[in-house]
Amino acid sequence: MVRAGAKAGLLGGAVLLYAAAVGMLVRLDELHLVGTQVTLGRVLLVLPPFVAAFLAVRPRVVGGRVEQPGPPAALAIGALAGGVTGAVGAGGLALVDAIGLDRVRSVFVAVSPALVETMTFGRGLGLGAAILVLGGLGLGAVGGIWRRVRHGLRRPVEVGLLTVFVLGMLQRVVPFMLDELRIERDWLYSRVTRGLTWVGAVVVLVVATAAAAYVLDRRERHGRAPLEEGRPEVRGVRRLVLAGIVVAFFAALPQLAGSIVSEIMGTVGVFLLLALGLNIVTGYAGMLHLGFSAFFLLGAYSIALLTGANLVTAFGLVAPRFSAHLDFYVALVLVVLIGAAVGALLAAPVLRLRGDYLAIVTLAFAQIAVILATSSWLQPITGGPQGLRDVTKAPLLGIGFRSAENFYYLVLVACVLAVYVSWRLAWSRTGRAWNAMREDEQVAEAMGVPTGRYKMLGFAIGGAIGAIGGAMFAVKVGTVQPGSFEIIQSITILAVVILGGLGSVPGVVLGALVLLGLPGLLTQLEEYRFLIYGASLVAIMILRPQGLIPNVRRMRELQEEERTQDAWQQIFAARQEEEAAEGATEAAS
Amino acid sequence: MSQEARTTRTLGRFERLPTRRIVLVALSIGIATAVAYGSYRTLTLPAGQRYSGSAWRDFLVLGVAQGAVYALIALGYTLVYGILRMINFAHGEVFMAGAFGSFFFADAWERSGFLDRRPVLAVLLLVLLAMAVSVTVAVLLERIAYRPLRGAPRLVPLITAIGASLFLQNTFRGLFGAQTRGYPKPTALEGTWSILGIPVQRVQVLVLVVAAAAMVVLTQFVSRTKTGKSMRAAAEDQEIAALMGIDVDRVIVTTFVLGGMLAGIAGVLFALTFGNISYFMGFAPGITAFTAAVLGGIGSISGAAIGGLVIGVLQSIGPALLLTGIHVPSPFQLKDVVTFLILILVLLFRPGGILGTGEVEKV
Amino acid sequence: MRKRTWFALVALVGALALITAACAQEEGGGTTGPTGGTATGPAADCESDPFGCVNVGAGEPITVGTLLAISGDVAFLGLDSQHGVELAVDYLDGAFDGKGGQIAGHDVNLVNEDDGCSAEGGQAGATKLAADPQMVAVIGTSCSSAALGVADQILADKGIMLISPSNTNPNLTAEGVWTGWYARTAHNDKIQGAIVADFAYDELGARTAATINDESPYADALAAVFRQVFESKGGTITAAEAIQSTDTDFKPLLTSIGQQSPDVLYFPDFNPACALITKQAADVPGLKDTALIGSDGCADPSYTETAGAAADGAYLSQPDTSAFQQGDFYQNEFLPAYRELVGDDPTAAFHAHAFDAFMILAQAIEQVAIEGGDGSISIPRTALKDAVLATSGHQGITGTITCNATGDCATEVTIGIYQVPAVPFDDPKAKPVFSETKSLEDVA
Repeated sequence: MVRAGAKAGLLGGAVLLYAAAVGMLVRLDELHLVGTQVTLGRVLLVLPPFVAAFLAVRPRVVGGRVEQPGPPAALAIGALAGGVTGAVGAGGLALVDAIGLDRVRSVFVAVSPALVETMTFGRGLGLGAAILVLGGLGLGAVGGIWRRVRHGLRRPVEVGLLTVFVLGMLQRVVPFMLDELRIERDWLYSRVTRGLTWVGAVVVLVVATAAAAYVLDRRERHGRAPLEEGRPEVRGVRRLVLAGIVVAFFAALPQLAGSIVSEIMGTVGVFLLLALGLNIVTGYAGMLHLGFSAFFLLGAYSIALLTGANLVTAFGLVAPRFSAHLDFYVALVLVVLIGAAVGALLAAPVLRLRGDYLAIVTLAFAQIAVILATSSWLQPITGGPQGLRDVTKAPLLGIGFRSAENFYYLVLVACVLAVYVSWRLAWSRTGRAWNAMREDEQVAEAMGVPTGRYKMLGFAIGGAIGAIGGAMFAVKVGTVQPGSFEIIQSITILAVVILGGLGSVPGVVLGALVLLGLPGLLTQLEEYRFLIYGASLVAIMILRPQGLIPNVRRMRELQEEERTQDAWQQIFAARQEEEAAEGATEAAS
Repeated sequence: MSQEARTTRTLGRFERLPTRRIVLVALSIGIATAVAYGSYRTLTLPAGQRYSGSAWRDFLVLGVAQGAVYALIALGYTLVYGILRMINFAHGEVFMAGAFGSFFFADAWERSGFLDRRPVLAVLLLVLLAMAVSVTVAVLLERIAYRPLRGAPRLVPLITAIGASLFLQNTFRGLFGAQTRGYPKPTALEGTWSILGIPVQRVQVLVLVVAAAAMVVLTQFVSRTKTGKSMRAAAEDQEIAALMGIDVDRVIVTTFVLGGMLAGIAGVLFALTFGNISYFMGFAPGITAFTAAVLGGIGSISGAAIGGLVIGVLQSIGPALLLTGIHVPSPFQLKDVVTFLILILVLLFRPGGILGTGEVEKV
Repeated sequence: MRKRTWFALVALVGALALITAACAQEEGGGTTGPTGGTATGPAADCESDPFGCVNVGAGEPITVGTLLAISGDVAFLGLDSQHGVELAVDYLDGAFDGKGGQIAGHDVNLVNEDDGCSAEGGQAGATKLAADPQMVAVIGTSCSSAALGVADQILADKGIMLISPSNTNPNLTAEGVWTGWYARTAHNDKIQGAIVADFAYDELGARTAATINDESPYADALAAVFRQVFESKGGTITAAEAIQSTDTDFKPLLTSIGQQSPDVLYFPDFNPACALITKQAADVPGLKDTALIGSDGCADPSYTETAGAAADGAYLSQPDTSAFQQGDFYQNEFLPAYRELVGDDPTAAFHAHAFDAFMILAQAIEQVAIEGGDGSISIPRTALKDAVLATSGHQGITGTITCNATGDCATEVTIGIYQVPAVPFDDPKAKPVFSETKSLEDVA
């Protein structure tokens, strides 16, 4: 156990040094969560010891029994883990000081005086190092016994702190919502730091903790009634009501939150649309499609060319070689058809390929699309690197959709439609065929499922949705430049789908909000956006491949060992044991 | 893992028609015609616009040198694929890490003059340093990202690899900055040597020699040594190999180590050839090298070597040969299109690659 | 477990919002309507102004935004300009004392946003700035791609003036494209391209030339202008090639260009492409006697660092700053203040343009601000725009600034051709080997 503590501590220390060396500590220090003292950077500084300790003392299944350290041991080991983390951090600082900050900075660009300031809490090296180690010990101790704190107390506090955190992170949304609702908000959000005020944070903490405690208490007394329990009719009604609330909230958002949020949500909406399309192709049909950015590009350029956009050249605006001046909505139909057709065409050569190769071919296709769009060869049509501009505002009954609020509604409608299509597909014959193909293609074929056809259908639908997304994007920005359609977009929506949950629509929505909305709202996060995407992909795949809001069926598939179908039950059983052990120890304490 | 099973299956309605056959044949005719036409037009351009013999020679030599670098990276892909049946998408970043790792020393040595005084020793040390960094990254990848997912369905490690690639790229960006750095070249490597009357850049000669040596060493290692034999056994059938007493975990780590070493060497060679490194330098060579591995026959070492050379030459000569004649403006922009088309075509016609068998591998 | 926590959380936040909405109070006394006082004067002007006024109450600061490329790979360009604006705010009180000065008796509040050097970035940043009803004007963007059709339109729709310190793409002030709410203190590349062509044809005696541009509107336009002028003087363009700014291998391309052995190779791109082209051209026999010319996109320290010895003798075109860089004010006051603020030397060429941009804005605000008698002021938007566009004879660091009718304020521009190693980013006292001044009428 001691070893586990030390190991966890070293790991925590490594994470700490990593965050420092990559520049996250300094950059995120600019984001104030509460008052002027609690910044996201400081939170990042404080978390590793706590989490390391928390993980070091987790119950383990050893030789068929559950082992967990007793309270004094947990305290000690937790403190050890936290202390080691702090020590590693302090050690890093000392090392930098020994070698000389400037010399280190010539290699590791993020190691700046500002970083040292942040890590030592502005108190100089010696005192700062001491703070790190002692703070680590303290935090670690708390982390170690946190598990043993009574459930009825722990959960509400966790919920309370999480609420404060979330409200702090949403500092670009909630204050403006309150402003629009004409609610006094200076007590809650400071205009100077943009984050929560201390008063506001305390109030939120108290209210949230109390509310959570109340809900928890009620649950324990009257039993749990999650969404999934109960008679089917009740379940259905409950789900519908929840969906209705969600839709109403999103529909009212522009009025509540102002134009900045609407603008960001517009972008989120476009990518959500793409992610829903990817969810159908990869989540339902099981084909890893990395070429979505190509259809995104195709849709954008098609709509631009079909609605009379102009090329941008060095000498002014020029009409493209081929263009039409159709109405947006007519052109949109054409774009859907083009997207579907190209999608099916792409599918044709890859029908027989294995998953990996399929992915790489789609990737190659996406790269080709971007290169061609940027090329001088196709410049008379696509405008080369400068692209096209003056894309239509998609006027409908005289209302243009370029403004942030209007566009938001346009894309909201598109997303709702996409969700509807997803839902219908999932429960249709096609959906069932895809399920069968995903689980075992050879068996499916043996059972007579025309896999080729359904694969093509999957790609066609994906292509169509991707093209619609592209068309929306073109309307939103008004200019179409190839730089917006790089491969990274494909990987971004892949991250959204994976984080949210393969094959799960609510998951995808959540994933889009988190991975696209947050960096859009918070400029400090924007810089580390792709780092976070990469890390989340890896972390999710290892820790929770079914995503945040899993689709139950996919969850079982993703977690099973390929050949040992029983493994799932083993994992399941082990988890149940763990939870039982947790419950037993809590009951005992 | 079990071997890929070829099953006979009842054909769906779609596949009963020889559509596939027809399309493939039509496609091959079309491509062949396009290639022939393009080449013809290029070679018959009026004298002022035509490429001279020395230009073609330069393209060829450049292509072979680049191809050698691609071959080294492709070997990493092919080794890992052979054992784990997995595309290590992050291998391009392993390559990049090696280049970066050696860069800071190269820079310091250039300023101190060591690089020019003892070029041979300096380059050797740089290669060793690059190998060390690349191997570290590769082993960490294996331990942290791939080992926990050994038994998972095939898509899972691929997605993880993509995530790891993105993560590594941005880590290096955060650590060392986003700007491209100039990689120093020892004066001894500037200029050309005359080989058989052809002026070849000294750097290119180095690349070819080192790459060839590395490949020879690797081939000997895999065929002669005990570890090499264990690797081949595990590649054939992991289960049986484990039953025969081979420590499969160690073999896998060794595979990553070897791949990392080669990528590290490739990193230094690439940096010396092109004179610069950046955090995104691994992406394009990564995909190109993967294409090379597939072209040559994934899982086969000599296949990777051949594939690399072919791709290198095609990338260099392709746009010039095929597109200049038909007056495509800026044909060199499209060199990656050439590579990707090759990839798609190979997977379409002969997924086993040049040295592979002619059959389609199923899931 | 997890699902329930989420549900509880969402329900909680939703409940809080709903409860506060239910108990909402009416907002007492607005800050957007005109303050009390007489119905004549201020109110009248503001009402007749199509976009109304920005009312700055007593003791409140004037809000000015910046929309520059402050993150990512081109951060060196945007941050440099942002520092120029910050120094201008400092200098409002006549001295670089680290304390901001005032315009019309009010402090200045700078709101900095990122233009991402792309259309989406420009759109996102411009929307954030435009959403603030107190936003008087914006200094930006850094990259033409962020302004063209996005930021300039979004801000124009709200009546917010956009003044750029570094956009050089000719389209931004061209007829039919100019929004009317845009001005720039940076030069129009029609001038730079023409001057480089003059240098190549007249000074170097070149008769054949090739160009390489990357995918940015800046490079595309500049190369195109060069080609046009060069040909009109009687020269021949042997190749007009395009690359990606992220490419690293230019050997085949250079070999192909080298076939024709042009007299001049002009590559108005960004680093590292510039530096790599320079470095790799040294290995191409066909380009042995070709003069290499880069542009201000290449003009930062990484050029000489990356290209190394191959850069010696190469030329770079950029604003001829020797006129002011040799000057007293710049050397003895501005530069030291810059170093004090940033801790390092300037990383790009447009900080002085940013300084000037802010200064003409400040001057225009002083001109049109209507005093409210109680210490508040009202700034009518259209009048402000007109005042900026009417700027004439303003003495800026970069020279005398007179804006023309379509927003080009650097109407007379001196472009210098420097030769490595005598380049301003490595040697602040460097002098160009060729310098020419042209005005927009000369090149229109």
